[in-house]
Amino acid sequence: MRSLAAFRMVVHDRSSTAGALLGVVAIVFLVGQQLSVLFGLLNYMSVLVDHSNADAWITSADLRNADAGNLISARYLDRAMGFPQVQWAAPLLIGNGLFRTPDGSFEAIRVVGCRRPRLAGGPWDFAEADETALLDFESVTVDRLDFEKLGRPAVETVTEIGGRRVRVGAITDGARGFQGTLVFAPFDKVKEVAATPPGRYSAILLRFLPGIDHDDAVARLRSAMPGCSVFTTAELSRLTRLYYFTNTGIGGSFGFSTAIAVMIGIVIISLTMYASVLGRYRDFAVLRALGGRQRDVAAVVFSQALLIAGVGVFIGFVLLAALLNATRGSAIPSYMPSYVSPLLAGIAIVVSLLGSLVALRQALKAEPASVFH
Amino acid sequence: MHGLVLEHIARDFTDGRQVRRVLFPTDLEIAAGELTVLAGPSGSGKTTLLSIIGLVLRPSEGRLVLGNRDVSRLGEDAAAGVRLREYGFVFQQPMLVEGLSILENVLLSVAVQGKRPSKAMRKRAMDLLASLGLEATANQQPRLLSGGMKQRASIVRALLKSPSILLCDEPTSALDAESGQVVVRILKRIAIEEQRVVVVVSHDARVFPYADRLIKLENGRVVSDTREQYVEGSGLAS
Repeated sequence: MRSLAAFRMVVHDRSSTAGALLGVVAIVFLVGQQLSVLFGLLNYMSVLVDHSNADAWITSADLRNADAGNLISARYLDRAMGFPQVQWAAPLLIGNGLFRTPDGSFEAIRVVGCRRPRLAGGPWDFAEADETALLDFESVTVDRLDFEKLGRPAVETVTEIGGRRVRVGAITDGARGFQGTLVFAPFDKVKEVAATPPGRYSAILLRFLPGIDHDDAVARLRSAMPGCSVFTTAELSRLTRLYYFTNTGIGGSFGFSTAIAVMIGIVIISLTMYASVLGRYRDFAVLRALGGRQRDVAAVVFSQALLIAGVGVFIGFVLLAALLNATRGSAIPSYMPSYVSPLLAGIAIVVSLLGSLVALRQALKAEPASVFH
Repeated sequence: MHGLVLEHIARDFTDGRQVRRVLFPTDLEIAAGELTVLAGPSGSGKTTLLSIIGLVLRPSEGRLVLGNRDVSRLGEDAAAGVRLREYGFVFQQPMLVEGLSILENVLLSVAVQGKRPSKAMRKRAMDLLASLGLEATANQQPRLLSGGMKQRASIVRALLKSPSILLCDEPTSALDAESGQVVVRILKRIAIEEQRVVVVVSHDARVFPYADRLIKLENGRVVSDTREQYVEGSGLAS
C-alpha cells in the first residue's frame, strides 16, 4: 500500500515527477554519452594493438605507448622464431607520411606496413575489397571515416604517399587511430615511404602455439631479450590507453564533465523531490497521524525515488541507444561496453536515492500533531 | 471498548527563550458510548488537549491511561502502533491524499505501515462507504467530491479499523449547515450505537446540541464540564 501510495503520488504530481525524471534522464544520457565517447576514444588509442590478432608484441625498450616506439633490430625476429612456444612471428613497420589527395593537397597520415602473406597487424573490417589487396606491392587501404579528408579516393585511385606511387586497393570500415588517419600498406612499401633503415622494425608480433601460457612465454622472452620490451597484447593495450588517459588530459576532462553531469542530475532530483515533498507535507503528517512510523514515510519517499529512477533510467537508455545508433559509423567515437550499462543504471539509481535524501529529511519532519489546527 | 483517563495532564511550549504553559493540569475521564465535545475559543488549549489524547503530542506532565495502560510516555514507533490499532482521526479538513482514490484513501488507514489490506477489509470499506452514501465515489479522486462528501469519506477512513477512540478536530467547520449536521449525527450514532469514545473539538455552536458531554476550556484550563447534562441551543451550560 505504501508503494501504491508512492506510485499514485508520482503519477498525480506530474510537474515535480517530470522534473525529477529530467534529472535522472540527464544523468543517464549525459554520463552515458560522455562514457561512450571516452570508450570510443579508448578504442582508438589502442586500435592497432587490439586488432593485431597477435598474442604478444616485442617493441623497443621502455615503451610508454604503442604509438611511440623506437625501431628495433630485425635480429629479434629470428630470436623470437627460435622460441619453441612461438607459432609465428611477423614484423610491423609504422611510419609517417603525406597522402596526396585527388585535388593535389596533402594530408598527414600514419602508414602501417605489414608483411605479406600473413599481413599480421594489418587492416580488419572492410567496406570495399579485402586484405588481399595488400598482396600487391603498391596497394594501400584507406578508411571510410577518413574518406572526405583524403578527397574520396575510390578503389583503384592512384596517388602518392611520401612521394611514392600507391594505389587504393581497399577501403576499411572503422580502422582509425587516436593519432589520426591510418593507411595500411605492404611492409616494403612503408619501408620505402618512411625511408626506414634496413633491418629495422617498429615492432614484432607473436602468436604462441595453442595451449601455451602467455604470461610464462612472455616472461621467458623478456629474460632472453633484455634490450627490448615484450608485452602480451592485453598489457600493451592497457599501457597505451593508460598513457593517453593520464597524459593527454582526457581522463581529467571526461572525469570532470561526468562529475558535473552527475552533480546536475543530483541537484535537479533533489530540488524537484524536495519541492514535491513540501507540497505533500500535510499528506505525510496525515500518514504519521494515522499510525505511520517514520520508516513508513521513508518507504514512501524512497519508493517514489525508485519509481522515478526506474522510469528515468529507461528513458535515458532509450535516448542513449538512439544517440549511439545515430553516431554509429560516423567520425564521432562512441562505444559502450556491455558491462557499463548496468553499472550506469546502478549509479543513476543510487544518485536518485541520494537526491531524494534532502526530500526525505523534510518528509520526516512532518509532525503528526500538525494535522490538528 | 477502552475509556480514556487523563491524570494531571499539562503541556508547555517553549520558543527557545521562555516556557509557556498552554494546558494547565487537567484531570478527565472520557467514557465510551457518549459524544464528548471540547469547546472553547481559539488558544484555549483544546487542540493541544486533543493532540495529547491522540498520542501525537506528549504531555509535559501527567499520565494518559488507555484501558489499563499508561500511553503518555511511549516512543514514536510505539505511539504510532497504538494510533494505528486504537485510534481513528477526523481532521478539520478531510485531508485525503490527492492521487489516491477514495477507497485507497480509506484503506490507507489500515495499510499505512505497509500491510496489504485484506479482502475482508476492502469489503468493510465498501460497506462503510455505502452506509454513508459514498459507494459510487469509491474509485473517484478526492478532488471530484464536495466538502461534505470528503469529510464523510474521512470518517469512513477513521472507522475502517473499528477504533475504540475516534478523535475529531473541528469536523464541521469547513462544511455547510446541512453537511455539518449529517456529519455530527453520524458521529453521535457511532458513539452511542458502537460504544466508542468519540471526542470532538469544535467551536461550532451547531454541534453542541448533539453533545452528551460538553467540556469548555479557556486559557488552558477546563472551566466547565457538563457531564450528562443536556446543552440547549448554542448556549453553554455551566
